[in-house]
Amino acid sequence: MNAIAAGLAPPRDRALVKNNDSVRVAHYRLMVLMLLFALMVGVISLRLLYLAVFDAPDRSPVASAIGPRADITDRNGVVLAATIKGISLAIRPPRVIGDKERLAAELARLFPNRSVDDYRRILHGRRKFVYLERGATPAKIHAVRLLGEPAIEEVPEPKRFYPQGTMAAQVIGYMDIGGVPVSGMEAFLDKRLTSAANGGQPVALSIDSRVQAALESAIRTSAEKYLAVGGAGVVLDVHTGEVLAMASLPVFNSNAPGLVPVGTDPLRPDARYNRAVSSVYELGSTFKVLTMANAIEHGVITDFGKRYDATAPLQVGGFRIKDDHPENRWMSVPDILIHSSNIGTARISEEIGPERTQAFFRQLGFDRPVDLELGARGKPLWPGFWARTTVMTVAYGHGIAVSQMHLANAYAAMVNGGILRPATMLKLPAGQAPQGKRVISEQTSYRIRQLMRLVVEEGTGRGANISGLRVGGKTGTAEKNLNGRYIHSSLVTTFAAAFPMDAPRYVVVVTMDEPKGIPETYGFRTAAWNALPAVKNVIARIGPLLGVIPDPSKDIDVSDLMPFVYKPEKKDTGVHAID
Amino acid sequence: MNVAVSFESSVPTPQSPFKRSRFGRGKRTPIARWFWEIDRVLLLLVTILIGVGLIAVAAASPAAGVRYSGSGVTVAARHYFWMQLAWTVIAVPIMLAVSALPVQIARRAALIGGLVFLALLALVPVIGSAANGATRWISIGPAKLQPSEFLKPMFAVAMAWLFSLRARNPGLPFALISVVPMALIAALLMKQPDFGQTVIFASVWIVLLMLSGASLKLLGMLGAGGLAAIVSAYLFYSVATERINKFLFKQGDTYQVDRAHATLTNGGLLGTGPGAGTEKFTLPEPHTDYIFSVIGEEFGLIACIAIACLYLAIVLRVSLRLLREEDDFLLLASAGLVSQFGLQALINMMVNVGLAPSKGMTLPFISYGGSSMIALSIGMGLLLAFTRENPHLKEATYTVRWNGR
Repeated sequence: MNAIAAGLAPPRDRALVKNNDSVRVAHYRLMVLMLLFALMVGVISLRLLYLAVFDAPDRSPVASAIGPRADITDRNGVVLAATIKGISLAIRPPRVIGDKERLAAELARLFPNRSVDDYRRILHGRRKFVYLERGATPAKIHAVRLLGEPAIEEVPEPKRFYPQGTMAAQVIGYMDIGGVPVSGMEAFLDKRLTSAANGGQPVALSIDSRVQAALESAIRTSAEKYLAVGGAGVVLDVHTGEVLAMASLPVFNSNAPGLVPVGTDPLRPDARYNRAVSSVYELGSTFKVLTMANAIEHGVITDFGKRYDATAPLQVGGFRIKDDHPENRWMSVPDILIHSSNIGTARISEEIGPERTQAFFRQLGFDRPVDLELGARGKPLWPGFWARTTVMTVAYGHGIAVSQMHLANAYAAMVNGGILRPATMLKLPAGQAPQGKRVISEQTSYRIRQLMRLVVEEGTGRGANISGLRVGGKTGTAEKNLNGRYIHSSLVTTFAAAFPMDAPRYVVVVTMDEPKGIPETYGFRTAAWNALPAVKNVIARIGPLLGVIPDPSKDIDVSDLMPFVYKPEKKDTGVHAID
Repeated sequence: MNVAVSFESSVPTPQSPFKRSRFGRGKRTPIARWFWEIDRVLLLLVTILIGVGLIAVAAASPAAGVRYSGSGVTVAARHYFWMQLAWTVIAVPIMLAVSALPVQIARRAALIGGLVFLALLALVPVIGSAANGATRWISIGPAKLQPSEFLKPMFAVAMAWLFSLRARNPGLPFALISVVPMALIAALLMKQPDFGQTVIFASVWIVLLMLSGASLKLLGMLGAGGLAAIVSAYLFYSVATERINKFLFKQGDTYQVDRAHATLTNGGLLGTGPGAGTEKFTLPEPHTDYIFSVIGEEFGLIACIAIACLYLAIVLRVSLRLLREEDDFLLLASAGLVSQFGLQALINMMVNVGLAPSKGMTLPFISYGGSSMIALSIGMGLLLAFTRENPHLKEATYTVRWNGR
């Protein structure tokens, strides 16, 4: 046919059309176009399937865990901090569809913290979003649902929960109401806990909650018995630097950090304060062990039988060094430690000299805040001028103030063979202990272990002797120092111990803040009466727990030092002020 | 052909069970005749598409409402849905009415309309109003009219008519003649600027050239020319440069594309469910250019595939029917209309799934838009009119079917 017909008049005969070449070409090309179109739709469909498979948002549980903050656990997986679902109830007044008068009455019944008039004002007011209750209970949420008011919203708000309550609260830290971590490991680990890379995996602290519980309980018992205002304690693994427990008394609950009063007295910081790392104290006679180590290391002490004059107080310029319980005799090296003689220690330090004393304490990190993950680490009070008297007093722990953590770290190096490692609050994978740096030789460390063991067997640490656990340690008592002035009525007592001394594994340090004398202690309040029982309690409980089996047949050999230990003819039955 | 025939030639009424039915094949009322001649499958597909479109606009409406609400102005959540429903109520009768027009009248109306809208298109730079950085609309009272939308179907019909004259005047260079209106429209569109529409017009023109028997040499030259045009547009036409750069190199501000991708994939294969979409609120044009992404988010990518298949079904239905069509004009006009319709859908979907640079093109019958809805209805009405068939012609063929009926 002819296109004329198409344009102007209907063709008469279909048969004619069939031969039309151009129409056949058109049909052929139309088919090609059809296929092309089908192909393109196929491409789009494949692309959509590709998007569905590869680009769809990942809804797997692992990926969705990126949102909430990851858990914090102890070294054995006990959850210390977890994120739970919280629901807050809120209302959007512009979206209310029901009777506002009735709704106001209902709201006042369910949320009595505001009056009916308040709710009426809110419902008729301009505000677009008003919280009714943060962290609502399931019962409250159910009651609100029964109102059937779509303007009331359930806002999911993840909430941080600390299932162990007050346990290790200063270590874990807490979050403010806006979900921002304020202190402790929550603050240190903030990025890691919330990062997508971590994938919501819990972070394990070095803390062992069993050890932590034993430590907290022992410190609390001691503090209550001896009427102390506070206390602090550390249990440290001497071979890895992992802190197994760190306690600070008084305690607070991380779930409700605002409930404890804010401390205003600089001598009695509030409960949120971590006394184990934030407070610096003069730790007294516990330093004598360090001085001895320094002396042995530098060859100042070669003969343990050498005797030092402690017959009378030592007069240095205008300063008098006395012993708290004078023996008034010449004392051997073991005797000086056993009886905690200030005079003897001062005489030894005189021989060490200021340079070597400073160098050694610097090596132990006593001139700077302790190396640890926690924030608010106390800055030591390092003597500004090293006079002759300074060297002597520092030797027995006066005139220098460090944190308890400093001391625990140093003691670990003293007993573990001489390697100082940075302490850590994070669980280390097995065999991943830091290299550390050598501060004393193996031999010196061995001697120190002998001496510490002798202090517990024969001296001021006698009370800490637990059959078969081979405890060694040193007491220390000092007066609190506020702005450079000693407060004689306020003592800080410390007992620093390690066990088992034949192959030391753990250091335990407990400090009591302002313990009082009680009738049971005959009015005495030095370390041996209050800090020491706490340490003994802790070691007795955690020793077997940590795999240190009580074994009376094992002990460190101190026989070569025994000849130098002074034995009075008559056993003294009187009560000593011991320190 | 032959639609006209069916109007003229009256077939004797067979005695059949349909006798008493209002739409019986034997009825000779205009409505009955229309019903039996129209491509009912195509009508059904278009009806489904319009239904899907209403649901999609309902889904996208709150997002668009939020987007266009500002200080002092609050667009109700379902505003765009109600508007679209109103436009549908106006547009569907227009489509049905156009589909019932006799072919000659439909063609003449399309030619006249084409001239009118070409004139309006030329006037756009003078009396038009700008939106989104382009001057494409003419405001008539509260309504806005985009002449290029209306011109599109009429252009296809006019070009089909022009090429169908070739058989009567073999000597005249129709391809060359057709370049004149094509170039004029392209120039007017690029001035707005409207790159997407230009591509559609040019594609329809090429499809018609191809179907009207243009030599392969000419088509090859056109293909090369098209490529050159795109390259030169990229090099010298700032809008195209920017869009293509964004697409190819993810350069510059890819916010729209990124948002579309996020919305489309948010629902996964099965979607978040109606009204549960969240990403749609971040989309710049949820109810028009990116409605396909909104569907993807709420109803799933499976629904997107179903919609793509719906467009394919419409195109295939018309094309397969055209394989029986012997009349030059009807074949070309129908093919032009359906390729214009299908191509627009194709491009919009490709933009949404990230296979083509963003163009500012709507998804036919699904995207929101009053004047575009009317224009599409006119186009679809013309297509329905040109694909009408006398049912008795088919029955009259003396072929034996395999099932012996």
